[in-house]
Amino acid sequence: MKLNAKDIAAGVFLILLAAVGLWLNQDHALGSARRMGPGYMPMLVFWIQIGLGILVLGIAFFNGPDPLEKWTGFEIGTLALGIVAGTAAMLAAPHLSSFFTTSYADLGLGMLVGFLVICIARGWRLMGYICAAMCAFCLLLERGGLMLALIATIILSAMAEPEHRQRPLGVLGMAVFLLALCWWVFIKQLDIRVAVWPQF
Amino acid sequence: MDILGNLAHGFGVALSFQNLLFALIGALIGTAIGVLPGIGPVATISLLLPITFGQPATTAIIMLAGIYYGAQYGGSTTAILLNLPGEISSVVTTLEGYKMARNGRAGAALATSALGSFFAGSVATVLVAASGPLLTSVALSFGPADYFSLMLLGLIISAVLAQGSVLKSVAMVVMGVLLGLVGTDVQTGQQRFTFGIPELSDGISFVALAMGMFGIAEIILNLERPEARSVLKTKVDSLWLTKEEWKRATPSVLRGTVVGSVLGILPGGGASLAAFGSYMMERKMSKGRHMFGQGAIEGVAGPEAANNAAAQTSFIPLLTLGIPANAVMALMVGALIIQGIQPGPRMVESQPDLFWGLICSMWIGNVMLLVINLPMIGMWVKLLQVPYKFLYPSILVFCCIGAYSVNNNVFDVYSTVLFAIFGYFCNKLRMEPAPLLIGFVLGPMMEEHLRRAMLLSRGDPMVFLQRPISATLLAIAAIALLAMMLPNLRKGKEAAMAG
Repeated sequence: MKLNAKDIAAGVFLILLAAVGLWLNQDHALGSARRMGPGYMPMLVFWIQIGLGILVLGIAFFNGPDPLEKWTGFEIGTLALGIVAGTAAMLAAPHLSSFFTTSYADLGLGMLVGFLVICIARGWRLMGYICAAMCAFCLLLERGGLMLALIATIILSAMAEPEHRQRPLGVLGMAVFLLALCWWVFIKQLDIRVAVWPQF
Repeated sequence: MDILGNLAHGFGVALSFQNLLFALIGALIGTAIGVLPGIGPVATISLLLPITFGQPATTAIIMLAGIYYGAQYGGSTTAILLNLPGEISSVVTTLEGYKMARNGRAGAALATSALGSFFAGSVATVLVAASGPLLTSVALSFGPADYFSLMLLGLIISAVLAQGSVLKSVAMVVMGVLLGLVGTDVQTGQQRFTFGIPELSDGISFVALAMGMFGIAEIILNLERPEARSVLKTKVDSLWLTKEEWKRATPSVLRGTVVGSVLGILPGGGASLAAFGSYMMERKMSKGRHMFGQGAIEGVAGPEAANNAAAQTSFIPLLTLGIPANAVMALMVGALIIQGIQPGPRMVESQPDLFWGLICSMWIGNVMLLVINLPMIGMWVKLLQVPYKFLYPSILVFCCIGAYSVNNNVFDVYSTVLFAIFGYFCNKLRMEPAPLLIGFVLGPMMEEHLRRAMLLSRGDPMVFLQRPISATLLAIAAIALLAMMLPNLRKGKEAAMAG
C-alpha cells in the first residue's frame, strides 16, 4: 500500500476546516465582484482551500507510505478523556467561585484540567505539561501576582523533562534565577503593568 | 536625492546612544541564539516583539534586525567547532567547516566565516541603500491590481521554496490568509469569525500566532528529540589565515556575496537558501573543488558570505514594497504595524529615520559582530554548555510574560497555547508553519487591494491580465508553480534542502 497517512489527515483537515468556514461565512454579505462584501474574499479563499485539500487527499493515495506516528488506543482515549474533563471543568467553573467568571478564568481552568489529564499518556506528556504551565500562569497572574505565577509555570514545565523530576534542587535553582531575571527585566527595566505579589 | 546625504543622515540616527545600544543588544542576542541549537531567529524575534512596543519604531527594528543577521554569525561558530548547525542557514558550513576544524584549522575557518560575512554584509548594505529609493519609485507606479499580483507572487514563491510538499505549503499560505481575515472588516465594520469575543475584533494577535507556532511548538518538538550535544574536542588555534588560504577564500567570498544578495531579494528566499545555493556553486566552480569533503576553505567562505548577504538584502522587498520575503520579515511587518507604520513604498519618504537609520545600523552591527565573534569566541563556546533542559523553561516564561504584556490580557496567552497545539500538529503532518505566517501578514492587504482593483475595473477580473506589470507577475507565479510540478526540479530542491 502506498497510502500517505500524514497527507490524508492533512487533506481531511483542510477540507473540514474550509467546510466549517463556509458554513460560518453565511453570516456575511457576499456582495458582487465589483463591490465585494465582507464575505467575498473568505468565500474565495475557502473554496481554494477545499480544492487544495482535495488535491492533497488525491495525491496521498500514491505518494506514501508515510504513516502517522504510532498513536495507541490508550493515547487517543486519553485525549478524548482530556477533552471531556476539560469541557466539564470549564462549564462547572463559574459555579465553583466567582473568580472563574472574570478574564477567561473558566476557559483557563478547563484547559489546565484537560492538559493535565492528557499527561497520563506518554505521547502527550510534553505537550500537556508545557501547555498546562502556560494556563497556570494565566490563572495565577492577576490575583496571585507575577512571582507566584512564574513559580507555578516553572514547576509545571519542568515536569516535562524526566531529568528535572529526579533532581528537584536543580529546578529550585533555576526557579530562583528566573524569578530574579524576570523581575529585573520586566519589572525593573520594562515596567510592565502587572501585580508582582499576591493581591488579597 | 543624493545617497551620501541620506547615508549621513542615517549614520546620525544609527549612532545615537540608544540605537547603538540596541543594535549591540540585538547583535549579542542574535549571536547567542545562533550559537544555541534549538532556538532560531523566528522564535526569538517573536518572543521579543512585545518588549519592543515601548521603544521608538526605529530602535525596535534596529534591534530585531540585529538578531537576524547576528544569528548568521553565531550559527557558523557551532557548525565549525561542533559539527552542529546552530541555524538552518549554517547546515552547509558543517560540511567543510567541521572538517577544517578536525584538520587543525578551526581558527582559520572561524576567521574566514566572520570576515566573509562582514564583507558580504557591507556590500549588501550598500546594495540596500542604492536599490531602496530606486525600487520605491517603481513601486509608486503600481496600481491595486499590480499589488495584488505582487503579493500573490510572493506567497506562491514562499510556498514553492519552503521545505516539503509544495501543495501543503500553499495550503498553509491559504490558512494564513484566512486567519488574517478574522476580525473587523475594514470597509463595512462587520465582525468576521470573531464568535462574539471582543479580543478578536482587532484580529488574531500576531504575537500569539508567531509565539505559539514557532516558540512554544518548537519547545515541545525539541523536547521530543533526544538532545544531541557533542563535546568540544577541537582547540581554537591562531585566527590568522595563511597567504594560500586568503587566495583561495577571496573569490569564493565574492561569488557568495553575489549569490546571497540575489537570492535574498527573492520572495521566499533568505539566508538558508542562499547558503545552499552558494555551496552548490562553489562545489562546481571553485579552484579547490577537488578538496571538497576534506575541509575546503571555499566551502566555508562562500556559504557564510552568502547567508549574511541574503539576511541583509531580504530587507529590500520589505522596505520598498512592504512585502515580507520570509518568516523573519513577516515578523518585521508585524513589528512595524504594531508601531503604527504601514510598510510600503512610501516608507522611504515618510520614515527616513527608520529607513536610512536601519541601513546604517546594519553596517555598524556588522562591525560589532566582527568584534563580538572573533576575539570573544571562547565565551560563546561556553554558552553551548547550558543544557536545553534549563533553556526551555526560560523561553516559556518569557513567552508567557511577553504575550500577556502586549494588551495586558491573558486572552493572548490562551491564544498562544492554542496556536502552539496547532503548530505542533501541523508539524506532525509535515505542514510548514513559515508560509502560514507570511500569508497571515499579507492576507488583509491582499483583500484590500483585490477589492480596490475590482472596484476600479467594475468587477472585471481580466484587469489582472490586462495591466502589464500585473500580468508579468502572475506569469512568473504560474511558471514557479508549474516548475515545481516537474519531477526533476523537485528532486533538485529536495537535494538542496537536505544539504
